[in-house]
Amino acid sequence: MTIVTSSIAGTVADSARDRRRRPGRAWPYVTPVLLLLFMWIYGPALFTGVLSFLEWNLTGDVGGFVGFDNYARLFREPEFGQAAGQTLLYAAALLPFSTIVPMFLAIMLWQKSGRASTVYRSLLFLPVMVAPVAAAVSWRFILNPLQGLANEIIGFVGLPPMNWLGDPRSALIVIVLVTAAKVTAFNMLLYSAALTALDRRTLEAARLESATAWETTRFIVIPQLHKTTVLLGILSIVLAGQWVFTNVSVLTQGGPDGVTDNVYYRIYTLGFEFFETGMASAAAAIVLLFFALAGLIWVLLRRISAHR
Amino acid sequence: MRTVNHAAGLRTRSRAATGTIAWHAVLLGVILAMTFPVLWGILTSFKPANEIYSLTPLSAHPTLEHYVHAITVWPVGLLLSNTFVMAAGVVIGQVIIAILGAFALAYFSPRYRGVVLTLLTISLAIPPQALIIPQFLMTAKLGWLNTEAGLIVPQLGSSALAVLLLLQHVDGLPRSLLNAARLDGARPFEVLWNIVLPALRPAIAAVSILVFITSWNDYLWPLLVAPRQIDTTVQIGLRQFETAEGTNFGGLLAAATLTSLPILIVYLVASRRITDAFLQSGLK
Repeated sequence: MTIVTSSIAGTVADSARDRRRRPGRAWPYVTPVLLLLFMWIYGPALFTGVLSFLEWNLTGDVGGFVGFDNYARLFREPEFGQAAGQTLLYAAALLPFSTIVPMFLAIMLWQKSGRASTVYRSLLFLPVMVAPVAAAVSWRFILNPLQGLANEIIGFVGLPPMNWLGDPRSALIVIVLVTAAKVTAFNMLLYSAALTALDRRTLEAARLESATAWETTRFIVIPQLHKTTVLLGILSIVLAGQWVFTNVSVLTQGGPDGVTDNVYYRIYTLGFEFFETGMASAAAAIVLLFFALAGLIWVLLRRISAHR
Repeated sequence: MRTVNHAAGLRTRSRAATGTIAWHAVLLGVILAMTFPVLWGILTSFKPANEIYSLTPLSAHPTLEHYVHAITVWPVGLLLSNTFVMAAGVVIGQVIIAILGAFALAYFSPRYRGVVLTLLTISLAIPPQALIIPQFLMTAKLGWLNTEAGLIVPQLGSSALAVLLLLQHVDGLPRSLLNAARLDGARPFEVLWNIVLPALRPAIAAVSILVFITSWNDYLWPLLVAPRQIDTTVQIGLRQFETAEGTNFGGLLAAATLTSLPILIVYLVASRRITDAFLQSGLK
Protein backbone atom coordinates (compact mmCIF):
# COMPACT_ATOMS: atom_id res chain seq x y z
CA MET A 1 0.00 0.00 0.00
CA THR A 2 2.37 2.62 -1.13
CA ILE A 3 -0.60 4.85 -1.84
CA VAL A 4 -0.40 5.65 1.80
CA THR A 5 0.87 9.01 2.67
CA SER A 6 3.23 10.99 4.70
CA SER A 7 0.71 13.26 6.34
CA ILE A 8 0.49 10.85 9.25
CA ALA A 9 3.91 11.66 10.62
CA GLY A 10 3.14 15.36 10.87
CA THR A 11 0.16 14.84 13.13
CA VAL A 12 1.97 12.29 15.21
CA ALA A 13 4.91 14.63 15.73
CA ASP A 14 2.60 17.44 16.87
CA SER A 15 0.94 15.37 19.54
CA ALA A 16 4.34 14.51 20.95
CA ARG A 17 5.31 18.07 21.69
CA ASP A 18 3.49 18.28 24.99
CA ARG A 19 4.46 14.80 26.01
CA ARG A 20 6.77 14.36 28.97
CA ARG A 21 9.53 11.82 28.69
CA ARG A 22 9.15 8.83 30.91
CA PRO A 23 12.05 7.11 32.64
CA GLY A 24 13.29 3.84 31.22
CA ARG A 25 15.10 2.63 28.18
CA ALA A 26 13.35 2.86 24.85
CA TRP A 27 15.98 1.10 22.76
CA PRO A 28 15.01 -2.52 23.48
CA TYR A 29 11.59 -1.72 21.98
CA VAL A 30 12.71 0.37 18.98
CA THR A 31 15.66 -1.78 17.97
CA PRO A 32 13.66 -4.42 16.01
CA VAL A 33 11.88 -1.91 13.81
CA LEU A 34 15.02 0.16 13.18
CA LEU A 35 17.16 -2.91 12.51
CA LEU A 36 14.73 -4.25 9.92
CA LEU A 37 14.26 -0.81 8.41
CA PHE A 38 18.00 -0.36 7.85
CA MET A 39 18.57 -3.94 6.80
CA TRP A 40 15.79 -4.10 4.18
CA ILE A 41 15.09 -0.51 3.11
CA TYR A 42 17.90 1.98 3.75
CA GLY A 43 20.73 -0.53 3.40
CA PRO A 44 19.46 -1.72 0.01
CA ALA A 45 18.94 1.89 -1.10
CA LEU A 46 22.65 2.60 -0.51
CA PHE A 47 23.61 -0.79 -1.95
CA THR A 48 21.71 0.10 -5.15
CA GLY A 49 23.92 3.15 -5.56
CA VAL A 50 27.08 1.07 -5.07
CA LEU A 51 25.94 -1.63 -7.51
CA SER A 52 25.25 0.98 -10.17
CA PHE A 53 29.00 1.61 -10.44
CA LEU A 54 29.94 -2.06 -10.73
CA GLU A 55 30.04 -4.41 -13.65
CA TRP A 56 28.08 -7.56 -12.84
CA ASN A 57 25.50 -9.97 -14.22
CA LEU A 58 23.92 -11.33 -11.01
CA THR A 59 25.78 -14.66 -11.23
CA GLY A 60 29.42 -15.34 -10.48
CA ASP A 61 31.78 -12.80 -8.98
CA VAL A 62 31.16 -9.11 -8.78
CA GLY A 63 33.07 -7.36 -11.53
CA GLY A 64 35.16 -4.27 -11.08
CA PHE A 65 34.39 -0.61 -10.71
CA VAL A 66 33.25 0.86 -14.01
CA GLY A 67 32.44 4.43 -13.03
CA PHE A 68 29.45 5.87 -14.84
CA ASP A 69 29.55 3.20 -17.55
CA ASN A 70 26.22 1.67 -16.54
CA TYR A 71 24.56 5.07 -16.62
CA ALA A 72 26.05 5.84 -20.02
CA ARG A 73 24.84 2.51 -21.43
CA LEU A 74 21.42 3.04 -19.89
CA PHE A 75 21.01 6.41 -21.55
CA ARG A 76 22.29 5.11 -24.85
CA GLU A 77 19.59 2.44 -25.17
CA PRO A 78 16.36 3.88 -26.57
CA GLU A 79 14.19 1.63 -24.36
CA PHE A 80 15.06 3.51 -21.20
CA GLY A 81 14.12 6.86 -22.66
CA GLN A 82 10.87 5.39 -23.89
CA ALA A 83 10.18 3.82 -20.47
CA ALA A 84 10.82 7.14 -18.75
CA GLY A 85 8.44 8.92 -21.11
CA GLN A 86 5.79 6.23 -20.63
CA THR A 87 6.06 6.69 -16.86
CA LEU A 88 4.99 10.32 -17.30
CA LEU A 89 2.24 9.25 -19.68
CA TYR A 90 0.85 6.89 -17.02
CA ALA A 91 0.97 9.72 -14.51
CA ALA A 92 -1.04 11.99 -16.79
CA ALA A 93 -3.53 9.28 -17.74
CA LEU A 94 -4.20 8.17 -14.17
CA LEU A 95 -4.51 11.66 -12.73
CA PRO A 96 -8.27 12.10 -13.41
CA PHE A 97 -8.94 8.65 -11.96
CA SER A 98 -7.15 9.53 -8.76
CA THR A 99 -8.78 12.94 -8.29
CA ILE A 100 -11.85 14.00 -10.29
CA VAL A 101 -13.64 10.67 -10.67
CA PRO A 102 -13.31 9.52 -7.06
CA MET A 103 -14.17 13.01 -5.83
CA PHE A 104 -17.47 13.05 -7.67
CA LEU A 105 -18.28 9.50 -6.59
CA ALA A 106 -17.58 10.39 -2.98
CA ILE A 107 -19.70 13.54 -3.18
CA MET A 108 -22.58 11.58 -4.71
CA LEU A 109 -22.42 8.99 -1.95
CA TRP A 110 -22.18 11.69 0.67
CA GLN A 111 -25.18 13.68 -0.57
CA LYS A 112 -27.50 10.81 0.23
CA SER A 113 -27.08 9.01 3.48
CA GLY A 114 -28.62 5.68 4.33
CA ARG A 115 -28.44 2.10 3.32
CA ALA A 116 -28.00 2.52 -0.43
CA SER A 117 -24.99 4.77 0.12
CA THR A 118 -23.32 2.29 2.46
CA VAL A 119 -23.93 -0.65 0.12
CA TYR A 120 -22.65 1.28 -2.90
CA ARG A 121 -19.55 2.36 -1.02
CA SER A 122 -18.71 -1.24 -0.08
CA LEU A 123 -19.22 -2.37 -3.69
CA LEU A 124 -17.15 0.49 -5.07
CA PHE A 125 -14.32 -0.46 -2.77
CA LEU A 126 -14.23 -4.08 -4.01
CA PRO A 127 -11.61 -3.48 -6.74
CA VAL A 128 -9.09 -2.72 -3.99
CA MET A 129 -9.70 -6.14 -2.46
CA VAL A 130 -9.46 -8.36 -5.53
CA ALA A 131 -5.99 -9.80 -6.13
CA PRO A 132 -4.47 -7.96 -9.09
CA VAL A 133 -3.45 -11.18 -10.80
CA ALA A 134 -6.97 -12.59 -10.49
CA ALA A 135 -8.43 -9.42 -12.00
CA ALA A 136 -5.87 -9.55 -14.79
CA VAL A 137 -6.86 -13.14 -15.63
CA SER A 138 -10.49 -12.05 -15.98
CA TRP A 139 -9.45 -9.18 -18.22
CA ARG A 140 -7.36 -11.47 -20.35
CA PHE A 141 -10.36 -13.74 -20.80
CA ILE A 142 -12.65 -10.88 -21.77
CA LEU A 143 -10.09 -9.31 -24.10
CA ASN A 144 -8.82 -12.48 -25.76
CA PRO A 145 -8.76 -11.95 -29.51
CA LEU A 146 -10.45 -15.22 -30.54
CA GLN A 147 -13.83 -15.30 -28.82
CA GLY A 148 -13.47 -12.74 -26.06
CA LEU A 149 -16.48 -10.84 -24.80
CA ALA A 150 -14.94 -7.47 -25.75
CA ASN A 151 -14.74 -8.48 -29.40
CA GLU A 152 -18.26 -9.96 -29.33
CA ILE A 153 -19.55 -6.64 -28.03
CA ILE A 154 -17.80 -4.47 -30.61
CA GLY A 155 -18.93 -7.06 -33.18
CA PHE A 156 -22.57 -6.12 -32.42
CA VAL A 157 -21.80 -2.58 -33.49
CA GLY A 158 -20.19 -3.94 -36.63
CA LEU A 159 -16.56 -3.28 -35.69
CA PRO A 160 -13.87 -5.79 -36.62
CA PRO A 161 -12.30 -7.84 -33.78
CA MET A 162 -9.24 -6.34 -32.09
CA ASN A 163 -6.13 -7.80 -30.55
CA TRP A 164 -6.61 -5.63 -27.47
CA LEU A 165 -3.39 -6.40 -25.62
CA GLY A 166 -1.26 -6.91 -28.72
CA ASP A 167 -2.25 -3.69 -30.43
CA PRO A 168 -0.21 -0.62 -29.46
CA ARG A 169 -3.31 1.56 -29.83
CA SER A 170 -5.31 -0.28 -27.18
CA ALA A 171 -2.73 -1.96 -24.88
CA LEU A 172 -1.84 1.20 -22.98
CA ILE A 173 -5.49 2.18 -22.58
CA VAL A 174 -6.29 -1.27 -21.17
CA ILE A 175 -3.47 -1.05 -18.61
CA VAL A 176 -4.60 2.42 -17.56
CA LEU A 177 -8.26 1.43 -17.19
CA VAL A 178 -7.51 -1.76 -15.25
CA THR A 179 -5.34 0.21 -12.84
CA ALA A 180 -7.82 3.10 -12.75
CA ALA A 181 -10.53 0.91 -11.19
CA LYS A 182 -8.33 0.25 -8.19
CA VAL A 183 -7.05 3.81 -7.79
CA THR A 184 -10.55 5.26 -8.09
CA ALA A 185 -11.91 2.84 -5.52
CA PHE A 186 -9.19 3.63 -3.03
CA ASN A 187 -9.25 7.40 -3.42
CA MET A 188 -13.05 7.47 -3.30
CA LEU A 189 -12.73 6.25 0.25
CA LEU A 190 -10.16 8.92 1.10
CA TYR A 191 -12.46 11.62 -0.28
CA SER A 192 -15.33 10.17 1.75
CA ALA A 193 -13.20 10.58 4.86
CA ALA A 194 -12.44 14.19 3.95
CA LEU A 195 -16.15 14.84 3.39
CA THR A 196 -17.13 13.66 6.84
CA ALA A 197 -14.86 16.38 8.23
CA LEU A 198 -16.53 19.07 6.10
CA ASP A 199 -17.80 22.22 7.75
CA ARG A 200 -21.56 21.75 7.91
CA ARG A 201 -22.36 25.36 8.84
CA THR A 202 -21.22 26.73 5.50
CA LEU A 203 -23.48 24.21 3.80
CA GLU A 204 -26.45 25.25 5.93
CA ALA A 205 -25.76 28.89 5.12
CA ALA A 206 -25.66 28.06 1.43
CA ARG A 207 -28.96 26.22 1.67
CA LEU A 208 -30.56 29.21 3.36
CA GLU A 209 -29.28 31.40 0.54
CA SER A 210 -31.16 28.91 -1.68
CA ALA A 211 -28.11 27.77 -3.59
CA THR A 212 -28.72 24.85 -5.93
CA ALA A 213 -27.13 21.47 -5.28
CA TRP A 214 -24.67 22.07 -8.09
CA GLU A 215 -23.75 25.52 -6.79
CA THR A 216 -23.13 24.14 -3.32
CA THR A 217 -20.95 21.39 -4.74
CA ARG A 218 -19.06 23.64 -7.08
CA PHE A 219 -18.43 26.59 -4.77
CA ILE A 220 -18.38 25.07 -1.31
CA VAL A 221 -17.76 21.33 -1.28
CA ILE A 222 -15.07 21.03 -3.95
CA PRO A 223 -12.99 23.97 -2.62
CA GLN A 224 -13.08 22.44 0.85
CA LEU A 225 -11.68 19.20 -0.57
CA HIS A 226 -8.78 21.12 -2.04
CA LYS A 227 -6.15 19.76 0.37
CA THR A 228 -7.13 16.15 -0.32
CA THR A 229 -7.15 16.79 -4.05
CA VAL A 230 -3.67 18.32 -4.06
CA LEU A 231 -2.28 15.49 -1.93
CA LEU A 232 -3.86 12.72 -4.01
CA GLY A 233 -2.86 14.46 -7.23
CA ILE A 234 0.79 14.67 -6.19
CA LEU A 235 0.76 11.06 -4.99
CA SER A 236 -0.79 9.96 -8.24
CA ILE A 237 1.79 11.74 -10.37
CA VAL A 238 4.63 10.30 -8.33
CA LEU A 239 3.30 6.76 -7.90
CA ALA A 240 1.34 6.04 -11.10
CA GLY A 241 4.22 4.16 -12.71
CA GLN A 242 4.46 1.98 -9.64
CA TRP A 243 0.73 1.26 -9.50
CA VAL A 244 0.62 -0.18 -13.02
CA PHE A 245 3.49 -2.59 -12.36
CA THR A 246 1.50 -5.77 -11.68
CA ASN A 247 -0.89 -5.17 -14.56
CA VAL A 248 1.96 -4.50 -16.99
CA SER A 249 3.75 -7.62 -15.79
CA VAL A 250 0.70 -9.88 -16.06
CA LEU A 251 -1.07 -8.42 -19.10
CA THR A 252 1.54 -7.11 -21.54
CA GLN A 253 5.10 -7.55 -20.18
CA GLY A 254 5.77 -4.02 -21.37
CA GLY A 255 4.79 -4.77 -24.99
CA PRO A 256 3.77 -4.40 -27.74
CA ASP A 257 6.91 -2.54 -28.86
CA GLY A 258 7.39 -1.18 -25.36
CA VAL A 259 4.27 1.01 -25.39
CA THR A 260 3.20 -0.20 -21.94
CA ASP A 261 6.71 -0.23 -20.46
CA ASN A 262 7.77 2.17 -17.71
CA VAL A 263 10.78 2.83 -15.51
CA TYR A 264 9.78 0.40 -12.75
CA TYR A 265 9.08 -2.44 -15.14
CA ARG A 266 12.34 -1.61 -16.94
CA ILE A 267 14.30 -2.02 -13.68
CA TYR A 268 12.73 -5.44 -13.30
CA THR A 269 13.40 -6.62 -16.87
CA LEU A 270 16.96 -5.27 -16.90
CA GLY A 271 17.76 -6.96 -13.61
CA PHE A 272 15.88 -10.22 -13.79
CA GLU A 273 15.46 -10.97 -17.48
CA PHE A 274 18.63 -9.56 -19.03
CA PHE A 275 20.71 -9.97 -15.84
CA GLU A 276 22.17 -6.50 -16.38
CA THR A 277 22.59 -5.88 -12.67
CA GLY A 278 24.67 -2.75 -13.17
CA MET A 279 22.25 -1.09 -15.58
CA ALA A 280 19.21 -2.07 -13.52
CA SER A 281 20.87 -0.59 -10.43
CA ALA A 282 21.69 2.59 -12.34
CA ALA A 283 18.03 2.92 -13.34
CA ALA A 284 16.96 2.26 -9.75
CA ALA A 285 19.48 4.79 -8.46
CA ILE A 286 18.07 7.42 -10.83
CA VAL A 287 14.57 6.70 -9.50
CA LEU A 288 15.80 6.99 -5.90
CA LEU A 289 17.58 10.25 -6.67
CA PHE A 290 14.45 11.59 -8.30
CA PHE A 291 12.43 10.72 -5.19
CA ALA A 292 15.01 12.27 -2.89
CA LEU A 293 14.94 15.45 -4.97
CA ALA A 294 11.15 15.54 -5.13
CA GLY A 295 11.01 15.04 -1.36
CA LEU A 296 13.49 17.86 -0.79
CA ILE A 297 11.49 20.25 -2.99
CA TRP A 298 8.30 19.25 -1.18
CA VAL A 299 9.87 19.98 2.21
CA LEU A 300 11.27 23.32 1.02
CA LEU A 301 7.94 24.38 -0.48
CA ARG A 302 6.19 23.56 2.77
CA ARG A 303 8.77 25.57 4.71
CA ILE A 304 8.25 28.56 2.43
CA SER A 305 4.46 28.40 2.56
CA ALA A 306 4.57 27.99 6.35
CA HIS A 307 6.67 31.13 6.74
CA ARG A 308 4.42 33.29 4.60
CA MET B 1 -51.98 31.29 -4.57
CA ARG B 2 -52.42 27.91 -3.10
CA THR B 3 -52.50 26.12 -6.42
CA VAL B 4 -49.30 27.84 -7.51
CA ASN B 5 -47.51 26.62 -4.39
CA HIS B 6 -48.88 23.18 -4.94
CA ALA B 7 -47.64 23.11 -8.52
CA ALA B 8 -44.20 24.30 -7.46
CA GLY B 9 -44.11 21.62 -4.78
CA LEU B 10 -45.00 18.96 -7.29
CA ARG B 11 -42.33 20.17 -9.64
CA THR B 12 -39.64 20.06 -6.97
CA ARG B 13 -40.79 16.64 -5.87
CA SER B 14 -40.70 15.23 -9.37
CA ARG B 15 -37.32 16.84 -9.94
CA ALA B 16 -36.07 15.21 -6.75
CA ALA B 17 -37.36 11.85 -7.98
CA THR B 18 -35.55 12.18 -11.32
CA GLY B 19 -32.49 13.20 -9.33
CA THR B 20 -32.67 10.05 -7.24
CA ILE B 21 -33.07 7.87 -10.31
CA ALA B 22 -30.10 9.55 -11.97
CA TRP B 23 -28.12 9.12 -8.75
CA HIS B 24 -28.78 5.38 -8.68
CA ALA B 25 -28.17 5.03 -12.41
CA VAL B 26 -24.77 6.73 -12.33
CA LEU B 27 -23.54 4.83 -9.29
CA LEU B 28 -24.81 1.47 -10.51
CA GLY B 29 -23.17 2.17 -13.87
CA VAL B 30 -19.82 2.95 -12.25
CA ILE B 31 -20.05 -0.07 -9.96
CA LEU B 32 -20.85 -2.32 -12.89
CA ALA B 33 -17.96 -0.91 -14.94
CA MET B 34 -15.55 -1.36 -12.06
CA THR B 35 -16.57 -4.83 -10.95
CA PHE B 36 -17.85 -6.32 -14.17
CA PRO B 37 -14.63 -7.98 -15.41
CA VAL B 38 -14.08 -9.86 -12.18
CA LEU B 39 -17.79 -10.69 -11.85
CA TRP B 40 -17.82 -12.05 -15.39
CA GLY B 41 -14.75 -14.13 -14.61
CA ILE B 42 -16.38 -15.61 -11.53
CA LEU B 43 -19.61 -16.40 -13.40
CA THR B 44 -17.64 -17.98 -16.23
CA SER B 45 -15.74 -20.24 -13.86
CA PHE B 46 -19.02 -22.11 -13.23
CA LYS B 47 -19.83 -22.65 -16.90
CA PRO B 48 -19.14 -26.02 -18.53
CA ALA B 49 -16.24 -25.99 -21.00
CA ASN B 50 -18.40 -25.91 -24.12
CA GLU B 51 -20.30 -22.84 -22.92
CA ILE B 52 -17.33 -20.85 -21.73
CA TYR B 53 -17.64 -18.20 -24.44
CA SER B 54 -21.43 -18.04 -24.24
CA LEU B 55 -22.81 -14.57 -23.71
CA THR B 56 -25.45 -15.58 -21.18
CA PRO B 57 -24.13 -14.71 -17.73
CA LEU B 58 -25.58 -17.74 -15.95
CA SER B 59 -25.24 -21.18 -17.41
CA ALA B 60 -28.21 -23.55 -17.42
CA HIS B 61 -25.80 -26.31 -16.42
CA PRO B 62 -23.49 -24.83 -13.78
CA THR B 63 -20.54 -27.04 -12.98
CA LEU B 64 -17.60 -27.27 -10.61
CA GLU B 65 -15.42 -29.09 -13.14
CA HIS B 66 -12.97 -26.19 -13.47
CA TYR B 67 -12.54 -26.05 -9.72
CA VAL B 68 -11.88 -29.78 -9.59
CA HIS B 69 -9.34 -29.32 -12.36
CA ALA B 70 -7.69 -26.35 -10.66
CA ILE B 71 -7.36 -28.18 -7.36
CA THR B 72 -6.39 -31.64 -8.62
CA VAL B 73 -4.24 -30.87 -11.65
CA TRP B 74 -2.62 -27.65 -10.41
CA PRO B 75 -1.24 -27.33 -6.90
CA VAL B 76 -3.77 -24.60 -6.04
CA GLY B 77 -4.42 -25.95 -2.54
CA LEU B 78 -0.71 -25.90 -1.78
CA LEU B 79 -0.32 -22.41 -3.21
CA LEU B 80 -3.19 -21.12 -1.10
CA SER B 81 -1.63 -22.55 2.02
CA ASN B 82 1.79 -21.06 1.07
CA THR B 83 0.15 -17.68 0.59
CA PHE B 84 -1.62 -17.98 3.89
CA VAL B 85 1.61 -18.86 5.70
CA MET B 86 3.37 -15.89 4.09
CA ALA B 87 0.59 -13.40 4.82
CA ALA B 88 0.16 -14.65 8.39
CA GLY B 89 3.93 -14.53 8.94
CA VAL B 90 4.15 -10.96 7.67
CA VAL B 91 1.18 -9.93 9.82
CA ILE B 92 2.57 -11.49 13.00
CA GLY B 93 6.06 -10.10 12.39
CA GLN B 94 4.97 -6.60 11.43
CA VAL B 95 2.41 -6.30 14.20
CA ILE B 96 4.84 -7.41 16.91
CA ILE B 97 7.60 -5.05 15.86
CA ALA B 98 5.05 -2.27 15.31
CA ILE B 99 3.60 -2.69 18.81
CA LEU B 100 7.07 -2.56 20.35
CA GLY B 101 8.15 0.39 18.21
CA ALA B 102 4.97 2.40 18.68
CA PHE B 103 5.03 1.78 22.42
CA ALA B 104 8.64 2.92 22.69
CA LEU B 105 8.05 6.10 20.71
CA ALA B 106 4.88 7.02 22.56
CA TYR B 107 5.68 5.93 26.10
CA PHE B 108 9.29 7.01 26.44
CA SER B 109 9.11 9.84 23.88
CA PRO B 110 12.84 9.44 23.28
CA ARG B 111 14.82 12.44 22.10
CA TYR B 112 15.35 10.80 18.70
CA ARG B 113 11.60 10.31 18.21
CA GLY B 114 11.47 12.86 15.40
CA VAL B 115 14.34 11.20 13.56
CA VAL B 116 12.71 7.78 13.78
CA LEU B 117 9.40 9.17 12.54
CA THR B 118 11.11 10.81 9.59
CA LEU B 119 12.93 7.59 8.71
CA LEU B 120 9.67 5.64 8.88
CA THR B 121 7.78 8.18 6.77
CA ILE B 122 10.45 8.35 4.06
CA SER B 123 10.51 4.56 3.85
CA LEU B 124 6.82 4.66 2.87
CA ALA B 125 7.64 6.76 -0.17
CA ILE B 126 10.57 4.71 -1.51
CA PRO B 127 9.37 2.73 -4.53
CA PRO B 128 9.84 -0.99 -3.82
CA GLN B 129 11.01 -1.62 -7.39
CA ALA B 130 14.07 0.55 -6.78
CA LEU B 131 15.26 -1.79 -4.02
CA ILE B 132 14.61 -5.20 -5.56
CA ILE B 133 18.13 -5.94 -6.74
CA PRO B 134 19.96 -5.63 -3.40
CA GLN B 135 17.00 -7.14 -1.54
CA PHE B 136 17.08 -10.12 -3.88
CA LEU B 137 20.85 -10.50 -3.51
CA MET B 138 20.64 -10.42 0.28
CA THR B 139 17.83 -12.97 0.31
CA ALA B 140 19.84 -15.21 -2.00
CA LYS B 141 22.99 -14.85 0.12
CA LEU B 142 21.00 -15.86 3.20
CA GLY B 143 19.93 -19.00 1.33
CA TRP B 144 16.28 -17.98 1.57
CA LEU B 145 15.21 -18.23 -2.06
CA ASN B 146 12.07 -20.37 -2.39
CA THR B 147 11.59 -20.49 1.37
CA GLU B 148 9.05 -19.02 3.74
CA ALA B 149 11.76 -16.97 5.44
CA GLY B 150 12.57 -15.34 2.12
CA LEU B 151 8.93 -14.50 1.53
CA ILE B 152 8.38 -13.13 5.03
CA VAL B 153 11.47 -11.58 6.63
CA PRO B 154 12.39 -8.98 3.95
CA GLN B 155 8.81 -7.70 4.07
CA LEU B 156 9.22 -6.90 7.76
CA GLY B 157 11.37 -3.95 6.72
CA SER B 158 8.22 -2.30 5.41
CA SER B 159 6.41 -2.07 8.73
CA ALA B 160 6.54 1.72 8.82
CA LEU B 161 2.83 2.01 8.11
CA ALA B 162 1.90 -0.42 10.90
CA VAL B 163 4.15 1.48 13.34
CA LEU B 164 2.71 4.89 12.43
CA LEU B 165 -0.88 3.69 12.61
CA LEU B 166 -0.41 2.06 16.00
CA LEU B 167 1.57 5.05 17.25
CA GLN B 168 -1.46 7.27 16.63
CA HIS B 169 -3.46 5.01 18.89
CA VAL B 170 -0.88 4.76 21.67
CA ASP B 171 -0.45 8.54 21.53
CA GLY B 172 -4.21 8.82 21.82
CA LEU B 173 -4.40 6.88 25.07
CA PRO B 174 -5.17 9.08 28.09
CA ARG B 175 -1.97 10.11 29.76
CA SER B 176 -3.30 9.52 33.23
CA LEU B 177 -3.77 5.85 32.38
CA LEU B 178 -0.10 5.34 31.62
CA ASN B 179 1.16 7.57 34.43
CA ALA B 180 -0.95 5.87 37.06
CA ALA B 181 0.53 2.51 36.20
CA ARG B 182 4.03 3.91 36.33
CA LEU B 183 3.40 5.49 39.73
CA ASP B 184 2.17 2.13 40.93
CA GLY B 185 5.65 0.88 40.18
CA ALA B 186 4.85 -1.03 37.00
CA ARG B 187 7.80 -1.67 34.74
CA PRO B 188 7.54 -0.52 31.11
CA PHE B 189 6.88 -4.03 29.84
CA GLU B 190 4.06 -4.45 32.37
CA VAL B 191 2.52 -1.19 31.20
CA LEU B 192 2.72 -2.43 27.62
CA TRP B 193 1.30 -5.84 28.43
CA ASN B 194 -1.40 -4.94 30.95
CA ILE B 195 -2.57 -1.54 29.78
CA VAL B 196 -1.51 -0.64 26.25
CA LEU B 197 -2.16 -4.00 24.59
CA PRO B 198 -5.74 -4.45 25.84
CA ALA B 199 -6.58 -0.84 24.94
CA LEU B 200 -5.10 -1.25 21.50
CA ARG B 201 -6.91 -4.44 20.56
CA PRO B 202 -9.27 -2.93 17.94
CA ALA B 203 -6.45 -0.95 16.35
CA ILE B 204 -4.27 -4.06 16.20
CA ALA B 205 -7.09 -5.98 14.55
CA ALA B 206 -7.52 -3.26 11.93
CA VAL B 207 -3.79 -3.06 11.19
CA SER B 208 -3.57 -6.87 10.98
CA ILE B 209 -6.37 -7.01 8.40
CA LEU B 210 -4.72 -4.25 6.38
CA VAL B 211 -1.33 -5.96 6.37
CA PHE B 212 -2.89 -9.34 5.61
CA ILE B 213 -4.71 -8.06 2.53
CA THR B 214 -1.68 -6.17 1.24
CA SER B 215 0.55 -9.16 1.78
CA TRP B 216 -1.92 -11.69 0.30
CA ASN B 217 -2.22 -9.61 -2.87
CA ASP B 218 1.50 -8.86 -3.12
CA TYR B 219 2.97 -9.75 -6.46
CA LEU B 220 6.47 -8.37 -7.00
CA TRP B 221 8.32 -9.88 -4.05
CA PRO B 222 7.03 -13.47 -4.39
CA LEU B 223 7.73 -13.23 -8.12
CA LEU B 224 11.39 -12.53 -7.35
CA VAL B 225 12.20 -14.82 -4.45
CA ALA B 226 9.87 -17.76 -5.06
CA PRO B 227 9.48 -18.17 -8.81
CA ARG B 228 9.15 -21.97 -8.65
CA GLN B 229 5.65 -23.32 -9.00
CA ILE B 230 5.51 -25.40 -5.84
CA ASP B 231 6.75 -23.08 -3.12
CA THR B 232 5.34 -19.80 -4.34
CA THR B 233 2.13 -17.90 -3.63
CA VAL B 234 -1.18 -18.08 -5.52
CA GLN B 235 -0.49 -14.80 -7.29
CA ILE B 236 2.64 -16.16 -8.93
CA GLY B 237 1.24 -19.66 -9.38
CA LEU B 238 -1.70 -18.20 -11.25
CA ARG B 239 0.63 -16.35 -13.57
CA GLN B 240 2.48 -19.56 -14.34
CA PHE B 241 -0.70 -21.48 -15.16
CA GLU B 242 -1.57 -18.62 -17.40
CA THR B 243 1.56 -18.93 -19.46
CA ALA B 244 1.56 -22.72 -19.34
CA GLU B 245 -2.10 -23.28 -20.18
CA GLY B 246 -2.93 -20.01 -21.85
CA THR B 247 -6.14 -21.31 -23.41
CA ASN B 248 -7.63 -23.20 -20.46
CA PHE B 249 -9.63 -20.23 -19.28
CA GLY B 250 -12.09 -22.33 -17.25
CA GLY B 251 -9.40 -23.62 -14.94
CA LEU B 252 -7.65 -20.26 -14.83
CA LEU B 253 -10.80 -18.40 -13.85
CA ALA B 254 -11.63 -21.00 -11.20
CA ALA B 255 -8.12 -20.64 -9.78
CA ALA B 256 -8.41 -16.84 -9.96
CA THR B 257 -11.69 -16.98 -8.04
CA LEU B 258 -10.09 -19.18 -5.39
CA THR B 259 -7.22 -16.67 -5.16
CA SER B 260 -9.54 -13.83 -4.27
CA LEU B 261 -11.95 -15.86 -2.17
CA PRO B 262 -10.19 -15.57 1.22
CA ILE B 263 -9.96 -11.78 0.90
CA LEU B 264 -13.56 -11.48 -0.27
CA ILE B 265 -14.76 -13.56 2.68
CA VAL B 266 -12.77 -11.40 5.08
CA TYR B 267 -14.29 -8.35 3.39
CA LEU B 268 -17.85 -9.63 3.66
CA VAL B 269 -17.37 -10.37 7.34
CA ALA B 270 -15.56 -7.19 8.28
CA SER B 271 -16.13 -4.68 5.50
CA ARG B 272 -16.71 -1.85 7.93
CA ARG B 273 -13.53 -2.47 9.84
CA ILE B 274 -11.55 -2.86 6.62
CA THR B 275 -12.69 0.40 5.08
CA ASP B 276 -11.95 2.08 8.40
CA ALA B 277 -8.46 0.61 8.47
CA PHE B 278 -7.77 1.74 4.92
CA LEU B 279 -9.14 5.17 5.76
CA GLN B 280 -6.78 5.56 8.68
CA SER B 281 -3.88 4.42 6.57
CA GLY B 282 -4.38 7.21 4.11
CA LEU B 283 -5.45 10.22 6.09
CA LYS B 284 -5.61 11.83 9.48
